[in-house]
Formats: sequence, C-alpha cells, structure tokens
Amino acid sequence: MIAVGGMNYDKAMKAGVELPIRCYPLQAMVTQPLKPWLHTLVSSVSLHTNLVQSSRGEIVIGGGSDPYQLYSTRSTLDMKEHLAEGAVHLIPFLHGVRLLRQWAGTTDMTADYSPIMGASPLSNLWLDCGWGTWGFKATPVADKYMAQTIANQKVAPILEPFTMERFATFDLLNEMGATAASH
Amino acid sequence: MKILTCPMNGPRNINEFQNFGPLKANPDPDATSDQDWARHLFRADNSRGTLVEWWRHVPSNYFFLAERNATTNEVIRTFDPSELEQM
Ligand SMILES: Cc1cc2nc3c(=O)[nH]c(=O)nc-3n(C[C@H](O)[C@H](O)[C@H](O)COP(=O)(O)OP(=O)(O)OC[C@H]3O[C@@H](n4cnc5c(N)ncnc54)[C@H](O)[C@@H]3O)c2cc1C
Repeated sequence: MIAVGGMNYDKAMKAGVELPIRCYPLQAMVTQPLKPWLHTLVSSVSLHTNLVQSSRGEIVIGGGSDPYQLYSTRSTLDMKEHLAEGAVHLIPFLHGVRLLRQWAGTTDMTADYSPIMGASPLSNLWLDCGWGTWGFKATPVADKYMAQTIANQKVAPILEPFTMERFATFDLLNEMGATAASH
Repeated sequence: MKILTCPMNGPRNINEFQNFGPLKANPDPDATSDQDWARHLFRADNSRGTLVEWWRHVPSNYFFLAERNATTNEVIRTFDPSELEQM
C-alpha cells in the first residue's frame, strides 16, 4: 500500500502509477501555553484561519495551504503574519500572546481536495493518498477500511467513491466545503 | 516578503501575484480521448525540479511564465508568453 503522505506522488511514480496530486506546503504555529479557555474549534473561512487550544494550553493556529506548489518545509513570515492577523481578528485578546514555534509540512493535494483510496491500476498495490490538509482527523477510520480492503482483496464499499478512477469519469467528490481552510 | 520580477511591471511583492500552476500542452478537444482529456484537466507537473508555470500580476491582469525550482523555491527567470513560441 502506498500511504507515505508528502512522498505519495514519488512513490507511486516508482511503480509507474501517475497520481493526480500536487504538493503544497501547509503551515501552522502555536502560542505560549494559556490557561484553558477555548473549548471548541474556531474557524473562519473568510479569514483562512482556525484556532484550537491543545491540552497543554497552547493555541494552535492553522489556515490554508501556501499559494503555490513547493517541496520546501520552511515556514514563511508572510504566513505567520497572515495567521496572526486572522487570530487577532477572531479573538482580539490574543494580541499580546507570544508565538512559541511554527512549522510546515508537505500536503499532497488532489483536484477535489479529497483523498484517493482503494485500488491502483496494478494488482495488489493499494492507494491511501491525497489526504492533503485534513488527513489526521479522518485517517483512523479510513485505515480501518483500508485494512479490510487489503485483507479481503476487495475495496470496502464505503471507500468506492474515493477511487482514483473518479477523475477519469468526472465523478469528483464535493468535500471541499468540509475542508479547505476551515479546519 | 518574497519578490517576484514581473516581465512587465518589474520586481513586485509576491502577494501581488497569483499562481496558475504548471504549463500544460493544449490538446485539441475534438481529437483527444476522454481519458486523455481528464488527464489534461487533473494532472500537472509535480516534479521536484524546475517547473514552468503560469503567473498573473493581479493589479495589471498580466499573465506571464516563470521557471521556478519546486524544491528550493528559487525563481530562475520570468518571461512573456510570446517567448513560448521560441521554446
Ligand atoms: C502544518 C499542518 C497542519 C495540519 N493540520 C491538520 C488539521 O488541523 N486537521 C487534519 O485533519 N489534518 C491536518 N493536517 C494534515 C495531516 O497532517 C495529513 O493529512 C495527514 O498526516 C496525512 O496522513 P498520511 O498517513 O497520509 O501521511 P503522513 O502522516 O505524512 O504519514 C506518512 C508516513 O510515511 C512515512 N514514510 C515516508 N516515506 C516512506 C518510505 N519510503 N517508507 C516508509 N515510510 C515512509 C513518513 O515518515 C510518515 O510517517 C495538517 C498538516 C500540516 C503539515
């Protein structure tokens, strides 16, 4: 099975499978720890900013992908400024809070922002790719069905819409409203 | 902020620009199979080397091309689309 995150495109190419994926950096940052006060996830699609408080008290601030494809995982001052601006718009009392650290990762994006799961053109090579910017909330259950798929050598019915073939048949998935910059 | 040199407007802040993705061949819709047409729409160069890609300077609505390294983010050159015919 190919399930190597930002390396999915390269790994699939080694098997001669061309994935409809482009890689973009995604950045996030955290503030110094604060006492617990934010008990929900706050997200603004228009500000491209989302906030959540971790169990260590840090405010985790994230947003949209970088505006063009790139394999570098350096975070940029532009994105930090943008996320800080969005955070202060949403929650003004964060203005004096310090940033503790920031980071970036490579996200493997598909044209419909949905993952590619299931069969590949090669027999016994399975795909779990294209999770892009929202994979860690969804992969635990997805991989339960991927494990079922491999054990049965048959794509689990719930995963069928995520086939790579959907691009060739124009059956794209409309998941973007549930993802993109909104969490 | 990163600076991108627009062939028409000179060096400008990169947030004045919009990226339109890697340059693709223009297949003839009447002579292309559905499969190849889908590939044309949904596939783009995702290599780690030098990409040739479309950019737009938004305030002037000027489209041009850039050669950019997809790993180092170094912009090698930018040029007017008329130069494409000579490539
Ligand atoms: C800054 C940032 C913020 C994010 N925020 C969110 C969020 O708020 N919510 C959310 O749901 N998602 C978020 N994501 C996206 C989420 O992290 C990814 O979608 C998810 O991790 C993808 O899971 P994966 O298992 O496909 O790949 P990964 O988690 O990348 O796992 C792939 C694994 O494969 C390993 N590997 C690579 N090459 C090889 C090889 N050749 N052989 C063996 N192993 C290999 C890697 O080391 C890695 O452990 C964020 C991502 C980033 C970068």
